[in-house]
Amino acid sequence: MLIYIFRRLLIAIPLIFGVLTLTFFVIRLAPGDPAAFFIQPGISPNVAEQIRAQYGLNDPLPVQYVKWLASVLQGDFGRSFSRAQQPVVDVIAGALPITMTIALLTLVANFTFGIFVGIVSAVRQNTFLDRFLTVTALFFYSMPEFWFALMMIILFALKFPLFPASGLNEIGAEGFGPAGFFFDRLWHLVLPVTVLSINGAAGIARYVRGSMLEVIRQDYIRTARAKGLPEKVVIFRHALRNALLPVITLMGSSLPFIFSGALFIEVIFAFPGMGRVTVEAIFARDYPLIIANTFISGSLIVLGNLFADLLYAVADPRIKL
Amino acid sequence: MIKRTFATSGLVGSLLIALLLLYSCNRHNGGKAGKGAAMDSTLVIAMLGDADYLNPVLGSTVTSGNIIGLIYPSLLQSEFDTETGLLNYMALEKKLREITPGQAKKTAKGAIARSWSMSADHKSITYILRSDAFWNDGKPVVSGDFKFTYKLYGNPVIASARQQYLAELVGADKGNVDFDKAIETPDDRTLVFRFYKPVPEHLALFHTSLTPLPAHQWKNVKPDEFRHSPLNIEPLGAGPYHLKSWKQQQEIVLASSRNSNLPKPGTIPLITFRVVPDYTVRLTQLQTGAVDVVENIKPEDFTALLKANREIDVKTVGLRVYDYVGWSNIDQNELHRSGKLKPHPLFGSAWVRLALTQAIDREAIIDGYLKQYGVLCNTDVSPSLKWAYNDRIVPHAFDPSKATALLKAEGWLPGPDGILQKQGRKFSFVLYTNSGNARRNYASVIIQQNLRSIGIDCKLDVQESNVFFENLQQRKLDAWMAGWSIGLEIDPLDVWGSDLKKSRFNFTGYQNPRLDQLCELAKQKMEPTGARPYWLEYQEILHRDQPITFLYWMKETQGFSRRIEGEELNISGTFYNIDDWRLRPSANVAF
Repeated sequence: MLIYIFRRLLIAIPLIFGVLTLTFFVIRLAPGDPAAFFIQPGISPNVAEQIRAQYGLNDPLPVQYVKWLASVLQGDFGRSFSRAQQPVVDVIAGALPITMTIALLTLVANFTFGIFVGIVSAVRQNTFLDRFLTVTALFFYSMPEFWFALMMIILFALKFPLFPASGLNEIGAEGFGPAGFFFDRLWHLVLPVTVLSINGAAGIARYVRGSMLEVIRQDYIRTARAKGLPEKVVIFRHALRNALLPVITLMGSSLPFIFSGALFIEVIFAFPGMGRVTVEAIFARDYPLIIANTFISGSLIVLGNLFADLLYAVADPRIKL
Repeated sequence: MIKRTFATSGLVGSLLIALLLLYSCNRHNGGKAGKGAAMDSTLVIAMLGDADYLNPVLGSTVTSGNIIGLIYPSLLQSEFDTETGLLNYMALEKKLREITPGQAKKTAKGAIARSWSMSADHKSITYILRSDAFWNDGKPVVSGDFKFTYKLYGNPVIASARQQYLAELVGADKGNVDFDKAIETPDDRTLVFRFYKPVPEHLALFHTSLTPLPAHQWKNVKPDEFRHSPLNIEPLGAGPYHLKSWKQQQEIVLASSRNSNLPKPGTIPLITFRVVPDYTVRLTQLQTGAVDVVENIKPEDFTALLKANREIDVKTVGLRVYDYVGWSNIDQNELHRSGKLKPHPLFGSAWVRLALTQAIDREAIIDGYLKQYGVLCNTDVSPSLKWAYNDRIVPHAFDPSKATALLKAEGWLPGPDGILQKQGRKFSFVLYTNSGNARRNYASVIIQQNLRSIGIDCKLDVQESNVFFENLQQRKLDAWMAGWSIGLEIDPLDVWGSDLKKSRFNFTGYQNPRLDQLCELAKQKMEPTGARPYWLEYQEILHRDQPITFLYWMKETQGFSRRIEGEELNISGTFYNIDDWRLRPSANVAF
């Protein structure tokens, strides 16, 4: 298995570099100018030129590419154009913990609720409960996140002011003490995590239900029941383990989400996470930041797929790597 | 078994929800004295985006400007006189002009300059500085700080967006400011600026009063490290507030500087600028009292906002911002192909452009969207600049029949499909605008309908802002909808100058030598009001030639919590007297 992992990682290196090179050229060929902000009346025309010189954008494209490649190979992704020339690594390091907190909480909630609702739906197939859960799941699954988020804010922050509308902490939260600060943070995370997880859990529930229904009709489940095993053991030990294979693929593909963030939720709830960093970088034509984000997303997609393949082998002994 | 699992998870879930609800109710009732007290001593301002730099040499966003104004000292205080529309400059013991009674809202106590004197030939200005101004670390603010900072403003490696302010200093005419001659500091209290040409006093004051940095703190920072120096995130100022904390992309907290005498410590102990990117959420937070100030509220939200919470007040200020429809006056394809200037086949004639203006129902756009917060726009001289505004100009009324007659006289006649034609060419074009602007979308649909009714085919296209702006600069658009925010000093050559290479924002390609001449003549006047006749004629020409269709001026509309007292809105900025604002304490908090 170690050789398999090593081989997959080795193949990933040229793949990621290919993606980065493509991104490097595509963003420079796209219309727009990182110094565009400085082209306005009352600002000397020299300023935009000086800014471009600082960013190294006046060099011919191949020279820019070679310089960029040299620094990336040394692990230096450069300085952000749009965020006060902070090193891009620092920008990402600032945004990543926030995104990861939300994403991990969301994923736990997603999979817990998704799997739970899926199992109940499958076990109680065609009952009122199943139909109710199915319709509810479809309802939430088809709802746009940003709209759902705004409705939740209007409902729970405005009409019934139980939760805050945005931000990570209350004004003056530093004075609440460690426990108070923690609860305050948790209180601020309730609405965004709820929005994200209801939406995601609904999708997962659909997968689990389908997969579970297929499994509980198998002969070995009938055998398990026939030999007198308690229903709990039949469902959780025999059926669930086999029904979870498609869910593992979902887990693998969720990895990039943990690091890339959920843009709409971050904008609406004013969280300075990776989603906002990426989109703001694109609008500001912040080339180094765009490339660094592409690197992270690209690497995680590759790793996520590898992770899913490895989990298959763990869940199903018939799969050999 | 499933029931038992249900029961366990249900119990855990209910416990967690109960805990959080309890917590939130406790919060909501002001149960935590800490929270109530924090809010009572903190003014919270919602902002769309974070500040870029809290350094006056580099800061270029509006948010940065607002915060820098509170942290750093300024050589002079300035105030916009709404009676005359003129900017006034004040030192401790001198004013540029006498203040109209009832207009003075701002004290001169924040100025570093005690007084100034302009030389008789208008080629130098000498400031005498006060001796009781200190940086937050206790060191005095001296003339050397200003000279040091002006060198930074002019350094091409630093690329300050304010280097234009140095354009009249000695040496600037030859390409490089000679700082040894241009700025002299004979002693710590005397600061002399020298110009290569006579400069009107108000312009000299405007251009020499850039915000200083403490030289003793910054002197060892190399120019190529200036933009990413750690000092940028711990600014040392002297103003009514100092930076308490800056969580990037989240919030900036300013605390009142207890020892400041420029002009005094801020009345409100803490000011928090919070980043809330989404407009709906900013409005919600204003309604719930989580923030106290939200800028640029859309007119369609006023009624609901005021109805929802009586503790909110919406105030307006203006007029500095206008929208327009730009018509390319020149044939851009020909310009790109041969470099020659030829009139645009559709919009090249002033009569056609006048017909287009008359065909557009500007009042309907105002009534439908801006309501009482919009004013018909005739030219780019704002009605707020009363000293220069030409109130004898009668706006071009909406009159489709007149427009049709004008177009007919110009040879545009209806074709078989109802679209106007001239020599086989249809009157058909694309009107571009930038994405994400609901107001312009609304206006562009009305414009499309209006033009269609007189036989003009106008297609609409929305482009991403960066792409739109680049296409505009490269003269790729025939017709577009955009807007300008004007400065408080009239200087329109960048937008209308006939030299298209020099006038970078003359996207229409409009050329009129008399307009160039008027702008030059106005600049030569040493007193702005002396240029009034030139500006009156300037407006008449623009009104006659219609290089663009001026649509409407917009009042800027700001939402305030009523717990703020003492705020005065001024055209020069929402937070112009923020150091004088007070917060009314809430009933449940005892100090």
